[in-house]
Amino acid sequence: MSVALTRDHQAGGVRRISRFDPSLLLWLALIAVLAFLVLNPLLRLILSSFQEADTGRLTLANYLAAYGNVRHLEALANSLELGAGVAILATIFGVPLAWAISRTDMPAKGFVRLMAFAAFITPPYLGAVGWILLAGPNSGWLNKLWMGLTGSAHGVFNVYSMTGLILVVAVTSFPYTFLFTNAALDLVSSEMEDAARVLGAGTLRMTFRITLPMVAPAILGGAIISFLEAISLFGAPALIALPARFNVVSTQLWQFFEYPVRVEEAAAFAMPLLLITLLMFWVQRAILGRKGYATVTGKGGERRMIPLGGWRWVMLGYSLLVCALSVFLPMFVLIQAAFAKAWGRGISLQNLTLGNFHYLLFEQTQAKQTILNTFLYAGITAFAVIFLALSIAYVVSRKLVPWSDALAFLCMAPFVIPGIVLAIGFYAAYTAAPFALYGSATILILAFVTRFLPIAYTSSASGLKSINPEMEEAVRILGGSRLTAIRKVLVPLIKKSIAGAWILVFIPATRELSSAIFLVGPHTRVISVMLFDLSEEGNFEVLSALGVILLVATLVIAAIGFKVIGRDFMLRRT
Amino acid sequence: MDREFSPSRRGFLLAGSALAALGAGRSSRAQSPAAMSEHEKALFDAAKAEGGELTWYTAHSDDITAQALGRAFEAAYPGIKVNVLRTTAQVAYQRITQEIKADSIQCDVFSSTDLGHYVELKAKGEFAKYVPDNAGKVLDIYKNYDPDGYYHVTSAGLIMIGYNTGKVKEADAPKNWTDLLDPKWKDQIALGHPGFSGYVGTWALTLRKQYGWDFFEKLAKNNPRVGRSINDTVTMLNAGECMIAGSGPVGTLLDSAKKGNPLALSAPADGSVLIIAPSGIMKKSQHPNAAKLYMEFLLSVEASKIWLAHFNETMRPEVSPAPGIPQAKELKIIRPTVEEITKGVPEVIKQWRNTFGV
Repeated sequence: MSVALTRDHQAGGVRRISRFDPSLLLWLALIAVLAFLVLNPLLRLILSSFQEADTGRLTLANYLAAYGNVRHLEALANSLELGAGVAILATIFGVPLAWAISRTDMPAKGFVRLMAFAAFITPPYLGAVGWILLAGPNSGWLNKLWMGLTGSAHGVFNVYSMTGLILVVAVTSFPYTFLFTNAALDLVSSEMEDAARVLGAGTLRMTFRITLPMVAPAILGGAIISFLEAISLFGAPALIALPARFNVVSTQLWQFFEYPVRVEEAAAFAMPLLLITLLMFWVQRAILGRKGYATVTGKGGERRMIPLGGWRWVMLGYSLLVCALSVFLPMFVLIQAAFAKAWGRGISLQNLTLGNFHYLLFEQTQAKQTILNTFLYAGITAFAVIFLALSIAYVVSRKLVPWSDALAFLCMAPFVIPGIVLAIGFYAAYTAAPFALYGSATILILAFVTRFLPIAYTSSASGLKSINPEMEEAVRILGGSRLTAIRKVLVPLIKKSIAGAWILVFIPATRELSSAIFLVGPHTRVISVMLFDLSEEGNFEVLSALGVILLVATLVIAAIGFKVIGRDFMLRRT
Repeated sequence: MDREFSPSRRGFLLAGSALAALGAGRSSRAQSPAAMSEHEKALFDAAKAEGGELTWYTAHSDDITAQALGRAFEAAYPGIKVNVLRTTAQVAYQRITQEIKADSIQCDVFSSTDLGHYVELKAKGEFAKYVPDNAGKVLDIYKNYDPDGYYHVTSAGLIMIGYNTGKVKEADAPKNWTDLLDPKWKDQIALGHPGFSGYVGTWALTLRKQYGWDFFEKLAKNNPRVGRSINDTVTMLNAGECMIAGSGPVGTLLDSAKKGNPLALSAPADGSVLIIAPSGIMKKSQHPNAAKLYMEFLLSVEASKIWLAHFNETMRPEVSPAPGIPQAKELKIIRPTVEEITKGVPEVIKQWRNTFGV
């Protein structure tokens, strides 16, 4: 079909339709989908922020109510502090590890990568529980150790603080900066570095002046995602900020949804987050500006590892420290609890049991269905969102439609609609007739697709950004249609990115809490919601056991996925 | 009379023998149709015909107890599945109001711990009227909470002061609510949150009535750890993070102590707080017969045995707890009226946020 049309086109066909690229229809369909997923709930959100609850009349009262309270303003400031802290800490954790693994001869790379992956699949609320056990001011294992070593009467760590919350969120979100930076570094050949070396630059200078600036979009992208993820999290703040007696935007939003539900005030209160996204975009563009970052050109390039000498042990030490904070320590206490009769009793043979797993799998009426739901929904979500994100990223990067930047914004916007608000937007838009999706799996999956669109879009866009359009242009010059170019050239080139993006969505989808919590019905519960419900009460052993099930199952599914695509979890060929 | 407890009883440290007796409630068998009353059998058949399933939103207990009740029901009425969803009261209420707004009622039986919810939902016409046969057979204090028959008390539990026996000696433990204000407990008190927990809402309201809100202003100076569910306080004690559960849920504390955690209870001199928690059937329930059968079950002797096995109050006079387990009828109790709760809990939540910042 496309070939015929193109011939017409080349022949200067008179029929107007022949000038019409058929792929345009596909793009239009995608835009409609985006309108359904993002625009409609978003517009409803904005509109309702200016509406009176019952009459629907326009008003500014919601804004007055939302911002006329010092505690609400503090919550906003706290969220900004949290987001900035997490973005910085995640960069400090993620970038050196990515560089060491991608560009140096640091030992034990496979292990460090595995641990970064383990950190990635750990839900923040599970990490928070682990860290409560590690750094609780009175009982934390680390504090007890400190008190034992120094004879001090007080511990030094307090997880119930802003610093504690930043750390807990950063250790679970640094894999974003790590993965993005690592993937980008893997694409950069050593030519430029060689040039720097020839001109006399040392390793440090070369790294900071040449290597890292080349992957600046990836680092910035990772930092932005960490920031946005941090300010929209609900679970970890509920576990840590509430006992620490401060609110963040998400916990404050929760309060608007208590009885009597004040969706309109919540909508007004969520607006600054949307403005922040806009600002982030502006910052990203201003910094990256018109610089070109096409690093994959279709031409060959070689990558060599930088020998670090003795410093490689220093790098390894740093990597292991990050792994300890994010994985070893919290996992150790969680596993201990999962197999404990009573975790307060510590580690002993008498305290060992499989009873918590037995309870979940055989006594709990909901757990089995919940576990199945989780992985089913996450899998479907990942396929759907990748297809959508990639298509849109393509439209945007090749500027196929006017205002394509607006599409990019729509794709990124869901990240700063805190999951809770997104859920309410969906709730408002799609639970009533004619959609009537309340309590269905569909609404959960649609919300998940929307929620993870930014991740999928970011990785699709950065994958596409690294592909110079000249290769597709070659196809088109030779008479192939755009769809042919996509199928035959683009997709094979970015297969790696696609597979990576699938994993990047699948894993957070298995652990997604904030958008699920208002949309689950009794038959569509997912593990995260069940963990959250369990976390409210003193049932920590069972919670940990369910967390272990979640982590093990995610690992197994991801491992199968990697096996199938013939890559390891960093998407290297095996 | 709580003040007259011998030390060992006041601590409620559980002897193994007492525990053995409590296993009784766990074994429930399918009732032969002959053992069912005619009414029950009719409901059972109708419940099977309408799909053999029901969904129960409950804040009455911790998850373990709620699941035990659900399983016991399934065993007694084979072929009917119960989806048990345990959350805090305010979360359950949030979900039901969402369902009402979306006009898509998923819940069949609604069991909150905030009496105000029932007054509100009844006024809005969201409950179906149903007076279970068993409603007349419960202890007198639980009868006729709603004279119109839209909801019925199906569980009750106590709030006392809990403590970690590894860190606090019995002699040093707080003997009254006002002891929580002692500066020696700075940074060591765990509390639930009235914005989540119905138990905590009523508890805070009761103490406000007793001592004035000033009590909480002073309590805030001791920098307590504020969690969400009242059961959260048990987690804090088990972790050793806090020494004292200021709002200590008796059932969950004793259940956890049974598992070997170092926990004990102290009955406050001014009175323990008794929480009365009803259940109601949603008017637009998709499984009305299963829901009615479940209401009968919640008020049955069988269910009361399970409540007792998990250290909550019994609904029925036929069963009584093992010796040494605190029961409301043996204790000094303080408890607000339904009107006070309906009006007061939302106020208390607001005051709480101003005082504690969250």
